[in-house]
Amino acid sequence: MEFLHDTHFDFMKYRRFWIIVSFILVVLGLYTIFGPHKLNLGIDFAGGTQITLGFRETPEIDRIRTLVEQAGMREAVIQRIGKPEENQVNIKTAAAQGTEEGSRERLVAALSKSYNQGKTGVDLNQTGLDGLTQALVRANPDRVAPPQAGTHYAGIAETILKDRRTNGIFKSMDRIARLPGVSPAVASALQQGAHLGDFSVLGTENVGPQIGKELRSQGFWAVLLSLLGMLCYIWFRFELRFGIGAVMASLHDVAVTLGLFTLLGFEFNLTTIAAFLTLVGYSVNDTVVIFDRMRENMRKSRRKPLIELMNDSINETLSRTIMTSGLTFLTVLSLFLLGGDVLRGFGFVMTVGIIVGTYSSIYVASPFALLWESLFGPGGKWSRKPAVAAGPARPEPTKIEPKPGELPARRRTARRRA
Amino acid sequence: MKRNLLWRGLLILAVALVCVALAYPPKKKINLGLDLRGGVHLVLQVHTEDALRAETDSDMARLVDQAKEQSVTGLTATRTGDAAFTISAASPDALSTVTDIAGRFLPRWQASRQNDALVFTMDAKSVNEVRNATVNQAVQTINNRIDQFGVSEPVIQPTATGHRIVVELPGVDDPERVRRLIKNTAFLEFRIVQFPKGGGGVGSREEILANYGGQLPADVEILEGDRRDQTDAVVGKSYYAVQKRRTVTGRDLRNANPSRGQFGNPIVEFTLTPTGSEAFGQLTGQNVGSGLAIVLDGRVVTAPVVKSRISDRGQIEGGFSQQQAQDLSTVLRSGALPASITYLEERTVGPALGRDSIEAGLRAGIVGTLAVLVALLGYYRLAGLNAISALLLNVLILFGGMGAFHSTLTLPGIAGVILTIGMAVDANVLVFERIREELRAGRTVRSAIDLGFDRAFTSIIDTHVTTLISALFLFQFGTGPIKGFAVTLTIGLIASIFTAVFVSRWLFDLVLSRRQVQAPLSI
Repeated sequence: MEFLHDTHFDFMKYRRFWIIVSFILVVLGLYTIFGPHKLNLGIDFAGGTQITLGFRETPEIDRIRTLVEQAGMREAVIQRIGKPEENQVNIKTAAAQGTEEGSRERLVAALSKSYNQGKTGVDLNQTGLDGLTQALVRANPDRVAPPQAGTHYAGIAETILKDRRTNGIFKSMDRIARLPGVSPAVASALQQGAHLGDFSVLGTENVGPQIGKELRSQGFWAVLLSLLGMLCYIWFRFELRFGIGAVMASLHDVAVTLGLFTLLGFEFNLTTIAAFLTLVGYSVNDTVVIFDRMRENMRKSRRKPLIELMNDSINETLSRTIMTSGLTFLTVLSLFLLGGDVLRGFGFVMTVGIIVGTYSSIYVASPFALLWESLFGPGGKWSRKPAVAAGPARPEPTKIEPKPGELPARRRTARRRA
Repeated sequence: MKRNLLWRGLLILAVALVCVALAYPPKKKINLGLDLRGGVHLVLQVHTEDALRAETDSDMARLVDQAKEQSVTGLTATRTGDAAFTISAASPDALSTVTDIAGRFLPRWQASRQNDALVFTMDAKSVNEVRNATVNQAVQTINNRIDQFGVSEPVIQPTATGHRIVVELPGVDDPERVRRLIKNTAFLEFRIVQFPKGGGGVGSREEILANYGGQLPADVEILEGDRRDQTDAVVGKSYYAVQKRRTVTGRDLRNANPSRGQFGNPIVEFTLTPTGSEAFGQLTGQNVGSGLAIVLDGRVVTAPVVKSRISDRGQIEGGFSQQQAQDLSTVLRSGALPASITYLEERTVGPALGRDSIEAGLRAGIVGTLAVLVALLGYYRLAGLNAISALLLNVLILFGGMGAFHSTLTLPGIAGVILTIGMAVDANVLVFERIREELRAGRTVRSAIDLGFDRAFTSIIDTHVTTLISALFLFQFGTGPIKGFAVTLTIGLIASIFTAVFVSRWLFDLVLSRRQVQAPLSI
């Protein structure tokens, strides 16, 4: 089976048009990221507290929002997450002024004011090991002699809490009564002396503003330096204009994808950075393959104009480009659709990124290399070097229609060699 | 030719076996990151200036003491910064004597004269040493405390800069307890209670002040503690006037263990070092009938009355739960933290959340991989099988490499794996497309394969090295998750070059060696 071979699309014919399209896309992307929409920075970079709560019943977002705002935490982001039946809510609050420590306690206290009202005793959906053990020791339903009571009840408390951690919030006391080691006496003591609160804390993340700032700058430098590293390698292996083209293509991909990412309100966090790094990796990979073919073709037919060589090279690698992009697309699409909450953002970046990256390695990288050549190359508009000064000068890209009956450069040389 | 094939085959087999050995059993060899398995991740700021101030105070006191021995009096010493103090004296002679003494006893301090005072500053190198030693001691202390927690593979590491400590406790999900256990400075002191005489404490500060006529003596301070009823429940606060002098502190402890008091209530028993016992014996011997405040982090835990001279052992009762008695013994044993700490970053991932992401991630990964395999087979026929074997070997090497470097698989790490697999697929596609091209150009199967590999080789090297370079930069300059991404990517890329160029080639050669030259290639 083969899709495409021996194609002769004139990709470079409309390069000015596509450069303008790409430019507009990048500007739109940047506008979305920095404009009124604002990138949704996760607490990794913005600093702040994010807590995941499980509720016994379907949580009412508006009620939670009112409670959180009443407690003085404005601009909190409150979202349902996970499967609907899991009743999970994610609350994100900005870092508090002047403190590195988080607002978990304040959030829980604020919610407890309305939820869990009028309930007494230990809250089995909130309590830690200490609290539960102490309550059990005090009630002593199993009638254990004092010296052993502590160990005995600590064991029971641990069983109960472990179940809460692994299987989520307790919705009824029955689940506790069925646990191994929980005697009927303990169950009934809990029934009387304890209660099941309306929510439970499943996870907390707190990043102080200090760390947030550092993660932000470190992430930025890591990405920038890795791009520069790539540029230098391509410069060394190919030519500077190709390096510029490849880096421009990746910047284009990041700007466009990040713009769409922002528009759809995904959260930008450390995992997302990994996704964008992956995207840059793919994009450069794609571009380098095409450039590699250009280098090969340039060696074979030195007289052919660069623009034609580019068209040939893109056509020759087209089948591979489609195949690789298609295969990778399958993987990341499944991540996007099936990967769950955590991987969804990642999957999105990659799914969009593959499409944009494939486009850019054809329509951004090569035209940019051409543009660079015409501006800074020998005889270029902004070049100080005269046209004849350096090396085997390549003529300004002028269109030469291949004469009918003439063989493409590559085969001609191949035949000559063979 | 046959022999060559055999050797290459054996090499590939050996690599595969080594990787299996390195990665098997995966549950043990491949660590899952906290984001996948649940646990607590903390970044602590060590306030090293605490330790610096303590050092400054003690050096300053030492200098004044030494001066006193040489009968230089009338000095006033004040600490002016974390690592700076001034001494002023009535006469210039006194100051020059002090300068002499400082030169002999305080080598790490630089003194400069300002009018009729001496300004001392600690040199930068020593300041750094004190700060680093503080961080290291804090790491040690936290290590000891976490040890008691029974966590497998905890990470407790100082960061390269900023006097911070990263603590990772996989599988732990009671963050409150961890925080308490770590943050407890656990500075224990024994102080003699001046008022009320019989121990027990009073209900307010005013009561104490009234007793002293509104003005506390210079060597006395007020500390507070909890007031408890008969059942040990906290019912309010209680205040004590205690001597400022601390003769015996947590440093003099030899051991501390949880135990049971006479009513079966949890208590902490401790024993003292020989020097500690001597001082403790003296302290209690001179103060029989007074209250002895047991002060932990500046709060009175309990203040029993000294009934007789005690020397080498004692107990602390403070209405503890068993857990608290256990934890207090732990922190007392592990020693006091040299400086206070705050939490800069704290993440707790419940095991349920982590498990959900693993399940979803695995499901997505399997579906995606299957789709790729089917597409490869459909498009490249038998050669697709070749690509699939190379791909599987690639994943195997990746996990073997991760096992060898004890690296941790995190969500961003999975991203690295996906990129690697993508690039490995791409390397195979590059080769196959090139072979097809050569076949179309009318070459024989043999030379098409040779040329295909040769010509695709530069592309493969260039794409992989470009990405490898960026991975190295990310490793060097990135933090935690970005680093994890870089590690898996680096291992994966090297594996990918090996499988795409060497293994896949070997498979083609193997097939070629067993067939008619004219038979068409299934690609």
